[in-house]
Amino acid sequence: MMYPIQRNTDLPFEIQPEIRILRPSIHARRANLVVKFQDLYGFTVEGNVDDVNVLNEVREKVREQGRVWWAMEANKGANWYLHTYGSSSIALTSSLRFSVLVNAMTLKKLIRKGIPPSLRPKVWFSLSGAAKKKSTVPDSYYNDLTGAVSDKITPATKQIDHDLPRTFPGHPWLDTPEGHAAVRRVLVGYSFRDSDVGYCQGLNYVAAMLLLVMKTEEEAFWMLAVLLENVLVNDCYTDNLSGCHVEQRVFKDLLTQKCPRLSAHLETLGFDVSLVATEWFLCLFSKSLPSETTMRVWDVLFYEGAKVLFNVALAIFKMKEEELLVTYHVGDAIKIIQNTTHHLFDPDDLLTIAFDKINFMTTNLSKQRKKQETVVMAELDQRLRRLNTTKLSVKS
Amino acid sequence: MTWQSANQQQYTSLLFAAKEKPLFSLDRINMATIGHNNLNAKLVLLGDMGAGKSSLVLRFVKGQFLEFQESTIGAAFFSQTLAVNDATVKFEIWDTAGQERYHSLAPMYYRGAAAAIIVYDITSADSFTRAKKWVQELQKQGNPNMVMALAGNKADLEDKRKVTAEEARVYAEENGLFFMETSAKTAANVNDVFHEIAKRLPRAQPTQNPAGMVLVDRPAEGARAASCCS
Repeated sequence: MMYPIQRNTDLPFEIQPEIRILRPSIHARRANLVVKFQDLYGFTVEGNVDDVNVLNEVREKVREQGRVWWAMEANKGANWYLHTYGSSSIALTSSLRFSVLVNAMTLKKLIRKGIPPSLRPKVWFSLSGAAKKKSTVPDSYYNDLTGAVSDKITPATKQIDHDLPRTFPGHPWLDTPEGHAAVRRVLVGYSFRDSDVGYCQGLNYVAAMLLLVMKTEEEAFWMLAVLLENVLVNDCYTDNLSGCHVEQRVFKDLLTQKCPRLSAHLETLGFDVSLVATEWFLCLFSKSLPSETTMRVWDVLFYEGAKVLFNVALAIFKMKEEELLVTYHVGDAIKIIQNTTHHLFDPDDLLTIAFDKINFMTTNLSKQRKKQETVVMAELDQRLRRLNTTKLSVKS
Repeated sequence: MTWQSANQQQYTSLLFAAKEKPLFSLDRINMATIGHNNLNAKLVLLGDMGAGKSSLVLRFVKGQFLEFQESTIGAAFFSQTLAVNDATVKFEIWDTAGQERYHSLAPMYYRGAAAAIIVYDITSADSFTRAKKWVQELQKQGNPNMVMALAGNKADLEDKRKVTAEEARVYAEENGLFFMETSAKTAANVNDVFHEIAKRLPRAQPTQNPAGMVLVDRPAEGARAASCCS
């Protein structure tokens, strides 16, 4: 790895170079049998023959994308993407400033097309701000933190322990004693770093995916920190998930703006889109989308920020707009959505729509969030008061 | 409670004819909706983290059991159809996340639900306490005709039992719930809970008080005045 590994926990898990599957026979093809196979990150996936073919194409595209990135490095230097923002301490000549601007535009486009899995740890770590965050504390921070809290028992650690075997069970590395121990250290460490968050269910999946990508616990930990502290909106995972409630309301408004017909139809059915979107936002799609597709979303998330979640969520509904418009029952609509997300093996199918067809540059997100924050707070407060009334009246 | 008794076929043709514009004129379809002898019923599972909500659903829907079931985030959706007497009941099941902080999302899932299964783990007294809190909340805020079941899960772990069946039964009776101990692992009583709910769901004629309907005891309104500041 490119970074010094302080704890001897370089993960034994390797990205699968090939999808291990016997070529299905023509009979299997005819019968449209469901086959099980392992995807790029080692997850067992059930799909049909078409899905396997798509995954093979994706693997080829990933390789191609890798060549593009390596060519960029050869052309512009190894860490070219770090020089996209003019660092203010250096007086740049105008020609250099221009190249910085070109780099920034190139980088944004490149990232939307995907960071090759082999470069992901390095690119994520620098572009997300995790490297910077880590550099503000002593080198031994992670080891000191996890060492100091490893024997402590708190409500958070109990819940973490409960969830370890329930985090992607069956995964060839995550679901092993080493995998559990690594996820545990990252989550327990973080629960002490931010006691307001402590442990929130959902973070187990996020931490697990980060470990698979980053390959070292320490980097996974810092990615989790930067994600919760800088990338996402505040309070997504704290106490009553108020941040998550806010994002859901903003999402509903965006859906009404971008797909008014669909939004109206879903409302008629009584289908509150938060029923499905809450999990998307809390697990950052890791429980719904195939792993490489999830990682492609995260590529952009770490570079462009939390608004990316809206792009992707809107794209999922947009993709199935016509089908959803002819459903007449909530259950049918949900099935369509679930089926769609589980089979999005080609990340470009989703991301092309998310970024080329959905544009809310004109929407002032922070203003929207501020507005919804007031509503959410009032609602949660009112609910709490009603429930307390119940308690008292039962007691007396 | 609003009963959507529209003939489903009529509804379908109406919908397809009106494909081009949003269907503002249609009532919301929720709770138990009836078309011929088919009943659609929204059902929600509530209870403490790790009580076995997802395992009960997996057993009921797929007949499977996993020692370690992925933790549910937000909620997961399933559907399953049951034949009861002369009708079929299609359950739309919302299996919710158990962690305390997810509590604030719960109303979205129990809103309009025709039935609820409140699950606790017989080996955890805390989970029983939490189950009681859910019952209180549903009595206060849920659909008043909701059929509620109390399921004491993990009944196979007799040697680790912390909550007696008697205690739970008395509580359930006092609160107008029906009670069963279940084991998603051995499948004991799992289908029975869903069958019993299906049987108790209010049927057609909304003017009559349907047989098996659960009447919910509510705390006397006056009691609130006696308690101090809330």
